[in-house]
Amino acid sequence: MSRDGIRSFSLSDFDVDGAVRESLSRLPGHTRAGFLRRAAGAGAAVAGGFALRPGTAGARAGGSSGDIGILNYALSLEYLQASFYTEAERMGALQGALAHQAQVVGAHERDHVKAFKAVLGSAAIKQPSFDFHGVTANPDAFRSTAVAFEDLATAAYKGQAPNIQSATYLAAALAVHSVEARHAAWIRRLAGFLPAAQAFDDPLDAPRVIDIVNSTHFVTLQAPDTSAGTSPGFTG
Amino acid sequence: MLWVVAGVIISAAVAALLSFRGLPSSTKERGRPSGSESAYTLTALPSAFTAQRPLPLIDATGATRWAPVLHAAAARRAPSFQSAVVARLANHTGDGTANILVADAEAEHQGVLWERVRLAVLPNGTQGWVPRSSLGGWTFVDTRLVIDRARLTATLLRAGRVVFRAPVAVGAPGTPTPSGQFYVRDRLSGFSNPMYGPLAFGTNARSPTLTDWPQGGVVGIHGTDRPSLIPGRVSHGCIRLKNAAIVRLGRLMPVGTPVTIT
Repeated sequence: MSRDGIRSFSLSDFDVDGAVRESLSRLPGHTRAGFLRRAAGAGAAVAGGFALRPGTAGARAGGSSGDIGILNYALSLEYLQASFYTEAERMGALQGALAHQAQVVGAHERDHVKAFKAVLGSAAIKQPSFDFHGVTANPDAFRSTAVAFEDLATAAYKGQAPNIQSATYLAAALAVHSVEARHAAWIRRLAGFLPAAQAFDDPLDAPRVIDIVNSTHFVTLQAPDTSAGTSPGFTG
Repeated sequence: MLWVVAGVIISAAVAALLSFRGLPSSTKERGRPSGSESAYTLTALPSAFTAQRPLPLIDATGATRWAPVLHAAAARRAPSFQSAVVARLANHTGDGTANILVADAEAEHQGVLWERVRLAVLPNGTQGWVPRSSLGGWTFVDTRLVIDRARLTATLLRAGRVVFRAPVAVGAPGTPTPSGQFYVRDRLSGFSNPMYGPLAFGTNARSPTLTDWPQGGVVGIHGTDRPSLIPGRVSHGCIRLKNAAIVRLGRLMPVGTPVTIT
């Protein structure tokens, strides 16, 4: 727990139902920490702008615990991005090209979420609550954060792609990865950065990605509890 | 000599590419569905997903936003720590639920981001400014409840479309239901007081007459044990619906929904 009731998070906070942890624990010959280290070159992250094709992905998701864990890891990142763009669009503080970017990319990220959830079914982790601390209401802060998110997502997908076990997931992952890279180039241009700053991009492993997201304090534990079983004290 | 080497390399590369595109069907299976031709073999890999058209938000900026109070704070008349305090805010309501606030404007003053919020105090309609840092993350709702005291109806709209309508009872002449812009603050169920029916919503509206009521005379939206009085002007300020109607409304109306009482 940190300042002002804002809590930093870890994998376990994303992983509300323990689906990721359970998947990681089932991996033969690897501890969870070992797996996370291995995630730099092992595992898979997938999906985006898609809907489940019955009979392929579902069966695959049920058959590979490693893939399920990594799919949920990717879903967590997509939850974060989708919520960020959706909130920015709803706040209405963005104008012109930046507003257009948020509208288009937000729709993509929401589709990514839908696709992951469709594939994972009941194994999908639940969406955590987010608190973007005013970033979505400030165009400059939004722009900077969007650059960071898109660069991060691109590196995160790249970090998982080499280890995808399922060919169908590989195809989907590559499709999503290139879209995230296009998002990154788009927002980098709007932010005044070179869209492609270097000839080669580095991947990021899961622990590094989680540390980076953690440092933002954007993820909160649970939605506020607005329901109760107490008898009303209303006037009647 | 150099050009010759380069030419050989390019030729070899082209030959390899052509050779790859001409692989036997059994070898191509992973990369290309039968009967389909593609310039990029990779795109023809059987994907776990089928592409859908991304959908934009409906009425993106028409939604209402709310956030919980994270810790005790003061709501001020203007967005400044030097401004007068309008109300003190706790992080929980008298019902034990999270104290949520609906915001409709933002301002920055001396590097602090402020939110203008609707308050649960008299006089009804009072607003105040709270630091953004006192609040948690936003939740957005696209519903709106309209209580028509003349026609004695409750109408719920979602993204501008009517999704619910039912007759209601409102305050008697001596204990009127206040008019104005309010919001649903919490949701109570599972209690055993039949007077409120099976479900009750708390609002930030306050009775202007029953000010000594517990919790200050909260105007609620709830069921009833006297359905024959609906529609009518019989309550102590609350909005009563028949039990079947409040249950139906409960499936449609999230907390944070703005309530317009005309």
